[in-house]
Amino acid sequence: MPLFGKSQKSPAELVRSLKDAVTALERGDKKAEKAQEDVSKNLVLIKNMLYGTSDAEPQTDIIVAQLAQELYNTNLLLLLIQNLNRIDFEGKKDVAQVFNNVLRRQIGTRSPTVEYICTKPEILFTLMSGYEHQEIASNCGTMLRECARYEALAKIMLYSDDFYNFFRYVEVSTFDIASDAFSTFKELLTRHKMLCAEFLETNYDKVFSHYQRLLNSENYVTRRQSLKLLGELLLDRHNFSIMTRYITNPDNLKLMMNMLKEKSRNIQFEAFHVFKVFVANPNKPKPILDILLRNQDKLVDFLTKFHTDRSEDEQFNDEKAYLIKQIKELKPSEH
Amino acid sequence: MATSGHTWPNSQDDYELLDVIGVGATAVVHAAFCRPRGEKCAIKRINLEKWNTSMDELLKEIQAMSSCNHENVVTYYTSFVVKEELWLVLRLLEGGSLLDIIKHKMRISNCKHGVFDEATIATVLKEVLKGLEYFHQNGQIHRDIKAGNILLGDDGIVQIADFGVSAWLATGRDLSRQKVRHTFVGTPCWMAPEVMEQNHGYDFKADIWSFGITAIEMATGTAPYHKYPPMKVLMLTLQNDPPTLDTGAEEKDQYKAYGKTFRKMIFECLQKDPAKRPTATELLKHSFFKKARDRKYLVSTLVTIGPSMETRVHKASRRQPGASGRLHRMETGEWVWESEEDDDDEDDAARDRPMNTLARADSSDSDSDDRAAFTIGSLAAPATDAPQINLVLRMRNARNELNDIRFEFAAGKDSADGIATELVGAGLLDARDAGVTAQQLQRLVDDLLFAAPAPRSATFRLPSAPPEPSDEQSLLGFAQISIVD
Repeated sequence: MPLFGKSQKSPAELVRSLKDAVTALERGDKKAEKAQEDVSKNLVLIKNMLYGTSDAEPQTDIIVAQLAQELYNTNLLLLLIQNLNRIDFEGKKDVAQVFNNVLRRQIGTRSPTVEYICTKPEILFTLMSGYEHQEIASNCGTMLRECARYEALAKIMLYSDDFYNFFRYVEVSTFDIASDAFSTFKELLTRHKMLCAEFLETNYDKVFSHYQRLLNSENYVTRRQSLKLLGELLLDRHNFSIMTRYITNPDNLKLMMNMLKEKSRNIQFEAFHVFKVFVANPNKPKPILDILLRNQDKLVDFLTKFHTDRSEDEQFNDEKAYLIKQIKELKPSEH
Repeated sequence: MATSGHTWPNSQDDYELLDVIGVGATAVVHAAFCRPRGEKCAIKRINLEKWNTSMDELLKEIQAMSSCNHENVVTYYTSFVVKEELWLVLRLLEGGSLLDIIKHKMRISNCKHGVFDEATIATVLKEVLKGLEYFHQNGQIHRDIKAGNILLGDDGIVQIADFGVSAWLATGRDLSRQKVRHTFVGTPCWMAPEVMEQNHGYDFKADIWSFGITAIEMATGTAPYHKYPPMKVLMLTLQNDPPTLDTGAEEKDQYKAYGKTFRKMIFECLQKDPAKRPTATELLKHSFFKKARDRKYLVSTLVTIGPSMETRVHKASRRQPGASGRLHRMETGEWVWESEEDDDDEDDAARDRPMNTLARADSSDSDSDDRAAFTIGSLAAPATDAPQINLVLRMRNARNELNDIRFEFAAGKDSADGIATELVGAGLLDARDAGVTAQQLQRLVDDLLFAAPAPRSATFRLPSAPPEPSDEQSLLGFAQISIVD
């Protein structure tokens, strides 16, 4: 056991002084400046307890367990997140570090903090709304992605109404915030395969009508990123029934054909990876078949000249050759 | 960092782009004026169409920047998308980079016995160390500390710039679909031995090595092995004892003006074993930094003598995209080097110039600085039994200047297609020209092995070139691959 100096506070004392300081900061009275300092100071102490410093090892499991228990009992995590915008620059980063460390804590196979947050989903919703505020967005993003690693927490977020706010967050004008939101969004939609597939199936119409807006975004990055993610989602075997549903809609095919012709080569290339699924489908519905037939010659010609410089990408060339063959051999359906 | 209530606008219309102050592989940096704030700034425009790596990489690096709030680390304001470009709005440092100032001072005065006095060096380096200390405490590694990445403000402020930005500017390819081969490491002259080896990864101590090299650079004007081609630098760094102030000296006692404390500090940074190097925090306590003075001192010794903005603008605009001075290593062991124009000394006989024997069609600009030389080859895993063929691809760049791209071809190991792809990936070759280049390369190499007498070079038309002007002799619209001995 390390020997403590007399200034060493117990976890309970530390959590209490941090809570008092955050509460004072929230009130925003004339003591706010002092409170600001106290918050930062106590956050560093808690962070050092969890991570150690260059001179000191992290605290023992017992101390950390006490600390976590105090954090649950006082609901301090929520209070910290609610007041994140009032905490100073380094303090915000410390909150995220403390939060993530406590979240990762395990007792055997149990994750007590995950269980705790399940009973306090407000924590998740407060974090998600962090994307509304430039100065805390990336700190909240760091915590959200850590949460999204746990299926139980990802499920709460996916099935909440707040999830649909992501379609707005990923398009905000500040690039790093939009990208941060997009990586959280992507994590939620891809991390837990079964959960994601079930979610997409149940909410197919709502999700894809929102998604359509991303694909038509004015913002080049949003368009490119969302198209790439769409390709990944559709080609994931867990999402087979979502894919079959997507490729029966002629509007989706038209959109992809238009994106194949976009100015940006990166977007063309991503569109190719979605377009190919429509063509490869052995049971093409009539509307899809009609569109392909109507454009048969043009498509063959287009694909033959499409990204011919990717000579080193064997898979791409094989797929392209296959598509050209398929389209050449298309015949009007019998019935 | 954008402090609340002092946000920077995210609309192109709010900024007036002024002069170009830097050009990189996929980015251009402008001085700019933010109209609503009435304030100057720097804007880095990154072409995202040329940016094939996943956006996550880009995000990671911008977040590395935005998570810093320290006076010695470049200040990030905001970023937004303009058509196919990403605009990064940063603080403008009017003094330019330390490298600009070193080069300028060497041009206007005799620096044979040293560029700056110890007090200036200590003052700048102490600020750099404070930035590094913050950086490392934040869990970040810069990976490219050198005078070229240390910027100065009019008020004498010193900031570390381009962390990672340079890193991701040089990387390419799509992480999810193709195997990633480019792993950025830094600039070879400043690169720590363990980074070159890259067997066990490296940590923040790699920055301390580069810091030591930067200290030498500030005294002598150049990194110790600047005279050598990149491959040789790697060899020298790995095989020789660590460099000192005198490594690049032409005469005995050339740098005797510099004292023991300074030399000791450099020695401590340049330990081959990273564990033996001090941390930034420990280094700050080194007695050498007692010589440090304040910003005002830097204004008098550096800012006022530095090159004018106009001079730098002129230099930057002549710099070609792609010539950013970066070496990257592929996972397969090859290195790609893009030369830095500033390092090039025409009268430097030690520099490896296999092209000297070939007729040189001069580019319109007589300044040799504009001729970038590139090398692609295998270092880490030299092909022992495969015959190594040295080749040069000569062609005009986007500015219509002739470029020599040197590379090696290990028969039976390299493929012509692979090399062509790498050239495209490194931004040296237009994608449309990859096919024909690979074809010509293959023929030349095959002939060398199987035909006698074998042709030594091939000139061919580039599909990407406009139909006019076209002239095989002067390589207008044509390129030439030659075998060199």
